[in-house]
Amino acid sequence: MLLDVASFAGVRLGPGTLYGALSRLEDDGLVEALPLEGRRRPYRLTDAGLAALRGRLSGLNAAVSIGLARVGNR
Amino acid sequence: MKGILRLYPSAWRRRYGAELADLLEEMPATPGTTLDLLSGAVTLHIRAFLDRVAPRMVPAGGPPMPTHPLQRHPTATALIAALITAPTAIFVTLSFLAYQLELPGMQAWLQPFMDGLAKAPRIVDLFLLGAPFLAFLVAALPLIGLRAERVEGELRITLALQARTLNLIVLAVCVLVGGFLASHILVEFLFERP
Repeated sequence: MLLDVASFAGVRLGPGTLYGALSRLEDDGLVEALPLEGRRRPYRLTDAGLAALRGRLSGLNAAVSIGLARVGNR
Repeated sequence: MKGILRLYPSAWRRRYGAELADLLEEMPATPGTTLDLLSGAVTLHIRAFLDRVAPRMVPAGGPPMPTHPLQRHPTATALIAALITAPTAIFVTLSFLAYQLELPGMQAWLQPFMDGLAKAPRIVDLFLLGAPFLAFLVAALPLIGLRAERVEGELRITLALQARTLNLIVLAVCVLVGGFLASHILVEFLFERP
């Protein structure tokens, strides 16, 4: 997960930051833990998590589009 | 580096400690990682505290309450509240039996205790008086969910209540004991002052 985030966002999350965020997301019902695979515990988005992520990405997308349009007019 | 995990809240550690410890085994111990772990521990303690003071509600679609540590342990909280108010409840009950119902022999039996209480430091009085109110808050806290959030520029405050039999019983006892004590003090203040 740390490598995945680093590869697409260019940000290296620390382990405390990652698990702090993960526990918050699980508390909020946005992700859920799956059964252990060896020593690894996979997580997946819940339906509520997927809806929240879609909403957030749409918001970001709108902000990026408007921002790019305004920058492009200069 | 694993030693830092001991600084994390125990409930959190039970759930995520093993996973995080496994992850740490695969990572080099750097000052940055150490700092991140320490910062994570502080953040989680602050979060746990804030969740106790102002419980969060989960968004629609997520699991229902309980959402924060106290709400996960309403029974334990009710028992703590009962323990806090127990001395006052016993004191009020005995006083009621002895001085209101005037049960035979009770006043003589209770008098040495009342004399001792009269000589006790003021803090004992304050504790006996304040305990029902403190216990009321402790027992009520897990039943209340309050969340403030900004939705599309508007401040939205959500209040959610849940019913727990044991907590409600303790709340009722606190109201009875606190009410009796307060009315007794009021009557004494208004009518029995020299």
